[in-house]
Amino acid sequence: MLRRELLARLSAGLGAALSLPLLIPGIAYILSPLRLRREQGGFETLTRLSELEVGKPRLFFIQQERRDAWVKYPREPVGSVWLIRQPKGANPPVVALSSECPHLGCAISLKDESKGFICHCHASAFDLSGKPENAAPPRPMDTLEVALGNDADPEIRVKFERFRTQSEEKIPLV
Amino acid sequence: MFKSLADWINDRTGYRALADQAFNEPIPGGARWRYVFGSALATVFCMQAFTGLLLMTAYSPSSSTAWGSVFYISHVMWMGWFIRGMHHFTAQAMIVLLALHVLQVLLAGAYRRPREFNWWFGMALLFVTLGFSLTGYLLPWDQKGYWATKVATNIMGGAPVIGPSLQKVFVGGVDYGNQTVTRFYGIHVGLLPPLLVACLAAHIALVRRHGHTPPQKAPATPSPAWPEQVFMNLVASVGVLSVIILVVLAHGGANLDAPADPSNGDYPARPEWYFLSLFQFLKLFPGRLEAIGTMVIPGAIVLVMLLLPLLDRILPRSFAHFLACGFVFGVLGGAGFLTVQAIRDDWDDRPFLAAREKADQARLRAIALALDPGVGVPPEGAGYLLARDPLTQGRAVLEKRCLGCHVHDGKGLGTQSASDLARFGTRDWLRGMLENPGAGSYFKHAKGCDGMMEWKRTTKLKPNELDVVADFVAGFASIPDDVEPTEWLNQKEVAEHPGLKLFQNDCGKCHVIDGLSEGGLRDAPGLFAWGSPRWFARMIRKPDALDRYGYLETSNRMPAFGTDQVSDADLNMIIRYLKDDYLKPAAAPAQAR
Ligand code: HEC
Ligand code: HEC
Repeated sequence: MLRRELLARLSAGLGAALSLPLLIPGIAYILSPLRLRREQGGFETLTRLSELEVGKPRLFFIQQERRDAWVKYPREPVGSVWLIRQPKGANPPVVALSSECPHLGCAISLKDESKGFICHCHASAFDLSGKPENAAPPRPMDTLEVALGNDADPEIRVKFERFRTQSEEKIPLV
Repeated sequence: MFKSLADWINDRTGYRALADQAFNEPIPGGARWRYVFGSALATVFCMQAFTGLLLMTAYSPSSSTAWGSVFYISHVMWMGWFIRGMHHFTAQAMIVLLALHVLQVLLAGAYRRPREFNWWFGMALLFVTLGFSLTGYLLPWDQKGYWATKVATNIMGGAPVIGPSLQKVFVGGVDYGNQTVTRFYGIHVGLLPPLLVACLAAHIALVRRHGHTPPQKAPATPSPAWPEQVFMNLVASVGVLSVIILVVLAHGGANLDAPADPSNGDYPARPEWYFLSLFQFLKLFPGRLEAIGTMVIPGAIVLVMLLLPLLDRILPRSFAHFLACGFVFGVLGGAGFLTVQAIRDDWDDRPFLAAREKADQARLRAIALALDPGVGVPPEGAGYLLARDPLTQGRAVLEKRCLGCHVHDGKGLGTQSASDLARFGTRDWLRGMLENPGAGSYFKHAKGCDGMMEWKRTTKLKPNELDVVADFVAGFASIPDDVEPTEWLNQKEVAEHPGLKLFQNDCGKCHVIDGLSEGGLRDAPGLFAWGSPRWFARMIRKPDALDRYGYLETSNRMPAFGTDQVSDADLNMIIRYLKDDYLKPAAAPAQAR
């Protein structure tokens, strides 16, 4: 009986020796995406100030080089932002709002007659400053950093970032 | 608590009885090491299913993406190299174990009545496994898989009557491409696995029905498989696993050759080692006899193998057994001999080794390019990875078209009759030329090109002035394609450049630039935008133009190259190669991971 017992225990050990060397690397393999970090893009030039009318949002595409797993794409649109020129004297003179809805990431478009923003997925509504107008979105539209040149008609440059959806705070995705 | 839950499940499923059946199978004559093959094979198959499933989550079947995805698995994903390495080498272990299992069954005489169907299902398993190998080999869409599989499907196409249609169906057309990948992939992951499971299930059910074949002197009473036989099986499986892991570690995972390139004529295609004997066998039957080597004899061997269990019916039992063993060992011995011969043939075959060396360089280069954050695999597919690499493509075109006359860093392929093109269009090249235009790397070998030597004899420019002129002329290379001479001259940096006046007064005596210099002393090529892609393109496409070397005698002039000889893309590759504008190879070649 002792021999039976011993063999049974050894067999259990061998079973582990048989499965773990594949199971553990297998789990690591499946978890590989956790190792990836989003490349943080710099500021992208979108337009010049004179192209914008005060209070009238306009959508601009962000062009970036992109790497999708093994493929390297040349510069192409990777996202879009709403630019809204503020009245004279305001700081900052231009507000940039990400067009990605903080609720579940659908695209935010302009309401009829430009009275505010709406996301057509779950009807999140925002006013022109990006503040929520109903309970659907967890937070205001995400503002992006804007940098203006120094000349009379400065270039508008925006730092494109994406943020975690569904959270009340604005947490950058890395 | 746990026990009552187990009871609850058992009441409803009866799993304990099942487990009991599985573990307590009676082993005639007691547990034995020789019975471990079957279970080791089953283990190895489970490993393949597991690693295969993991690979499926990352593999992308198309001719443009397959290589990239396999590269990504092997070089970027966590443990990807290990998972893929395991899949690769376990496939080979499966073949070895199958062969050993067949031998053991044969020696024990376990293929005979009433186990004929065991044998046949076993044979079916062998073929399904070979099918896995053949289809899997192609999936990375690298040079190795591409060429080896192409040979295999061409052999299939040589079959009488249905061959060509069969080949077309398998390949998904006449040419290899996207459909080939998806078809092979479908067979590999969709068709063969259930087939294998079905054959395995039937095989195991029959083994259960007939029991193992005990050796003659074994005790009559059977004993249950648990725990002794199970223990032995596990030891064997762990042993096999350890060997595979060691092999994977020793190789650093499975190899990935450069992306498939249908235009690459000198790739040294070889099949996987267990097909080498067939490969070598083929060489024995040249020309029209080939079908004998590819179909008739292998087919006959397979037929005899299938008929072995029936031999007993016409021959005395032990004599039939002797014949069967003799036959199989004969075939294996022959295969072994051919394999060794194939390896030895390659061993001292210089062209083969050189081609292999070249293929390895391409492989390392492709991987280095794909890994580089600034390069990566182009969206059009991995086939363009090397074709857009100046170091690979630029050099190849240069060697093929230009190095019969020119040299590159002193190396040419014929008698030199023109300049050294290394770093052509850069300040380095220019400054060297202005120092000594008659040097071997400049105009010494070019017939009729003594203009700059004449200039050198007469010029009054001092070395520091030459530096300034060189700076000025080297800047020509960056003049954009849409800028005309007058626009260019109006730019502040140009108009105020200290080299402008020197150029106008000295070089301008011969070299014409609209609005800057008139020339006239003697014929000379135009230098506007010298070294830029447009200057270069015109030099290659129209060397006989008046603003190039049209003034030379035709026999002294460089021949024109049309787009059929050097495409625009290749021209760009040459330019970038000459200017060293490409990803530099690492000092130590990237490790083959
Ligand atoms: C048959 C010989 C021959 C071949 C082949 C040839 N060249 Fe030339 N190349 C010449 C000669 C000779 C000159 C000098 C100018 C002339 O005679 O036209 C020259 C000049 C040049 C020049 C101008 C710089 C200089 O040294 O004067 C460039 C650039 C050039 N060749 C590039 C190429 C490239 C790129 C290829 C391949 C696509 C090529 N050549 C193939 C003979 C050749
Ligand atoms: C005596 C006339 C003459 C003068 C002066 C002269 N060159 Fe040249 N140059 C030529 C001729 C002719 C060629 C064609 C190759 C040859 O015959 O040496 C040439 C070739 C060149 C080339 C190579 C073009 C090619 O094929 O890629 C460059 C660059 C060049 N000259 C620059 C200069 C510079 C810079 C000066 C002034 C410092 C200058 N040359 C002065 C006659 C002249």
